[in-house]
Amino acid sequence: MKPTGVIFFPAFDWAISPTHPEREERLLYTRDQLFEEGIMDMPEVREYHPRLATAKDVSRVHFCVPDVESRVTEAHMVSAGCAMVMADAFMQKEVKNAFAIIRPPGHHAMTVVHGNRGFCDINNEAVMVEYLRRTYGVRRLAIVDTDVHHGDGSQEIFWDDPDVLFISFHQDGRTLYPGSGFTNELGGPLAHGTTINIPMAPRTTDEGIHYIMDNLVLPMLDEFKPELVINSAGQDNHYSDPLANMSFTARGYAILNQKLRPDIAVLEGGYSVETALPYINMGIIMAMAGIDFSNLREPDYNPTRFKESAKNMDYIRSLVTHQLAAFREREKVVEANRKEGREYYGSSRGIFYDTEYLQEEQRLDLRMCPDCCGYRRISSSCVHHSGRSYSVFCISLPAACCPDCAARARQDYEDMKKKPGGDYLYLQDRIEDEYKTFETRTGRETTL
Amino acid sequence: MLIGIDVGGTYTDGVLFSEGSVLLSVKHPTEENDLEGTLLSVLDELLARAGRADVRRIVLSTTLVTNLLATGRGERTALLLLPGSGLPFSAYRISPDTYFLKGGIDFRGRQIEAPDAKEVEEVLKKVHDSGIDRVAVAGKFSNRNDAHERMVEDRARSLYPHMDVCTSNEIAGRLNFPRRAVTCYYTAMTMREWNRFADGIEAAIGARSPRSDVHILKADGGTTTLEASRKRPCETVFSGPAASTMGTMALSRESLNAVSVDIGGTTSDISLVIEGLPLYASKGALIGGHLTHINSFAVRSIPLGGDSRVYEESGELRVGPMRLGPAACLGGAEPTVTDAFNLLNGLGLGNADASREKLQAVAGRLGVSLEELCGKIADEVVDRLERNIEEMFGLWEDEPAYKVWEVVHRRKFELHRVIGIGAAAPAIIPMLAAKMGVEHFLHRYSPVANALGAAVARPTLAVEVHVDTGRRTYTGSPGGLKGTVEKRSFQLEDARELALDCLKEASRERGLADYAGEAHVYLEEQFNVIRGFTQEGKLFDVGVQIAPGFIHEYKGVA
Repeated sequence: MKPTGVIFFPAFDWAISPTHPEREERLLYTRDQLFEEGIMDMPEVREYHPRLATAKDVSRVHFCVPDVESRVTEAHMVSAGCAMVMADAFMQKEVKNAFAIIRPPGHHAMTVVHGNRGFCDINNEAVMVEYLRRTYGVRRLAIVDTDVHHGDGSQEIFWDDPDVLFISFHQDGRTLYPGSGFTNELGGPLAHGTTINIPMAPRTTDEGIHYIMDNLVLPMLDEFKPELVINSAGQDNHYSDPLANMSFTARGYAILNQKLRPDIAVLEGGYSVETALPYINMGIIMAMAGIDFSNLREPDYNPTRFKESAKNMDYIRSLVTHQLAAFREREKVVEANRKEGREYYGSSRGIFYDTEYLQEEQRLDLRMCPDCCGYRRISSSCVHHSGRSYSVFCISLPAACCPDCAARARQDYEDMKKKPGGDYLYLQDRIEDEYKTFETRTGRETTL
Repeated sequence: MLIGIDVGGTYTDGVLFSEGSVLLSVKHPTEENDLEGTLLSVLDELLARAGRADVRRIVLSTTLVTNLLATGRGERTALLLLPGSGLPFSAYRISPDTYFLKGGIDFRGRQIEAPDAKEVEEVLKKVHDSGIDRVAVAGKFSNRNDAHERMVEDRARSLYPHMDVCTSNEIAGRLNFPRRAVTCYYTAMTMREWNRFADGIEAAIGARSPRSDVHILKADGGTTTLEASRKRPCETVFSGPAASTMGTMALSRESLNAVSVDIGGTTSDISLVIEGLPLYASKGALIGGHLTHINSFAVRSIPLGGDSRVYEESGELRVGPMRLGPAACLGGAEPTVTDAFNLLNGLGLGNADASREKLQAVAGRLGVSLEELCGKIADEVVDRLERNIEEMFGLWEDEPAYKVWEVVHRRKFELHRVIGIGAAAPAIIPMLAAKMGVEHFLHRYSPVANALGAAVARPTLAVEVHVDTGRRTYTGSPGGLKGTVEKRSFQLEDARELALDCLKEASRERGLADYAGEAHVYLEEQFNVIRGFTQEGKLFDVGVQIAPGFIHEYKGVA
């Protein structure tokens, strides 16, 4: 039997600020626990060495304003690189599955990056997904976001991508950051139903989550048939997490992973650094490696402490029915949207960057392509922390882009170069794996 | 004058060394059943040559403990584990006599579950009733709080005073409970035999050369006093390769990145030296299939040596891995690697005609000329060595990293020099070094590098302290160090000072005080403990060590 790949990158020399939840201490006790258990010495586990993601790896997903180097910290580049190391280990069949225990996290980072949102600069899973597609030709994937916070960054990045099934269960957005992830957020017009949100009431227990796993998540994965399942593995649903209000246990997380059987898991949030993280991380490794975890428990674990209320179970049951129906309607809805015959589908919104207090204004136009999921044009403006205001225009080709969209998108970029408006113009050409930046002021173009 | 003796599996080598010269080297076959006798016969020859001169220090490297553990001849030893929550108990397949006890400690040394005194007594009785009188006790996170291990130890000592009891926190203080348990288990298993041997040696040397300090070479290439080794016999495993590597370093003497290749008859041992310091096995010595907390050199042994047989099989040239006897030029029946190099480089070793005759037969079967064959054999040997060396670089470069800095400044091994030892080294090493584009180094003392390495190696000692200012405690290794920190504004400098004080104290206890001043810091970590946006304390991990090196009076070889 092949081992489980583990990369442990605690970034012991990086913090957002000395007392911030995302600080050096976050994975310290996890380190102590993993090392003391000696789990990395076991034949079931193989430990890997981190590497840095390149600016090109990041540009496959993001438009970093003004560029990757000045926007993204080295810590984030290592974190994303670690996810890619796990992807390589898995795809090259060195391991049966893989778990990146890394920080900083990534699932709040969206396509356009003006700064840090929800402790994230860049989206580790998304960088890994586009790397998997480019390097290994993977097309269909599922991301199950098990963090207590809605994975709004991952949702936004894959919003218009029908080949990525993004499922997020999280504490109800009316009670927790980032305040999104409601049942009516189902994906873009050509990718409807491949974004599925499962908002849960505060204090939901293991029982509730396992009902959702068994009756919604697993059936959807069965029907979607992804080539790869990724667990965006936050650990803040734990009963002791200081930033959220749920009632999951370490064992609950272990069982979840036993059921989900992710090919690759990537750590996201989780800020109960002493009481939860050491035990949940152990539990996930053990579950993925097939090691019996019945002897694993938190110091204050009490099996009778949390009991799911009948009322909440009723809510969960109706939620599951509702979302399963939405998922099963997806192809029908997409077809109807296509039939409307619009050339572009436009939307506008504001995006708040909580870590740095930035407000971005964005307009997105999706080509309603009859043959593929369409290319995206995004115009975005934001006053950065430095006081400088940026307005940029971004063109993104999906990985499964049709030749017509590709030609139009490239032509759009050339046309825009001739009549520049904002500060920067970007072309994300995933077909050619070429990422262009055009600086309007100097007329300088760089290609990654 | 200095004496170094390396008791190896086949031969025991000894040197008498003074003012840069080997005055006498002695080589005797090792009598496996009488290591003490072999050792003393070598010692007597060396002492006879020393005459009335004062032999200040005698360093011994022996295979006693290695043999006991590797051959599974250790006495039955009970392992009492207190694993608490975590991996299933089935993960701890270490001793056939393993017993599990209640009790749990967490990473900050807090008690999660109390041990059960009644259960402890019942288990001890079972151990006693099954005729076992050696006991190892290991608890998870006992390096952060040794109370549970102590409690079991105290019960055992008071109920069964004849038992040998070892606790894991005393043997090894680093994180990794299974490795700590194994190291403690092996210590309990070998302690009595080692002490018997130490008694014999102490008496014998006391009678012959009473003014000599007696040291034992450890796996980490450093020495410890015979007295201090009594508590930690396991540290003496694998001292043979350590002796060789220390010997090559003593001869080459420069702070370079080097690879040392010890080419023996059947195998070649490769070890890396990084900026003048030998590379350790990152996971500790592997003994009997178990990883331990014993620092040992990362030595890769490959089945390729001077006596590796050269033959033809299905039209292909084969080199090794078997050894069927010595080289043809030295009277062997089959041609070997040494024969090929003998001809290729005109070494004039033994009967060169025999080399030629036997190799010609192989060349004939392969349909190539003798010159071509010798060239092919040499290429194959050099390629295989190079490949293994490069894999070792790669493994070192790919060690896990836990800091951004380490990943951004990724380490890269740049080789400066290849150092050769062993009889076949002069023939092979220059070619290998040329292929790798670096210089080679051979020395006339290479054949006795192991004994010389033992003779001039200095003592080593590493101390690690873990300070938790929130709980106002510190613990440390080795030897179950612990105490309280009173200072409110305890900082990294204080932790460093504490570690150095602990090292000084430990080196005094072990008779190594002369070298305490040479300790340096090799590990430094600090973390703020924040709860709800306020700081509750700090955690420090500081490691200081007297690294492997050479004794003060060693100034190189003449």
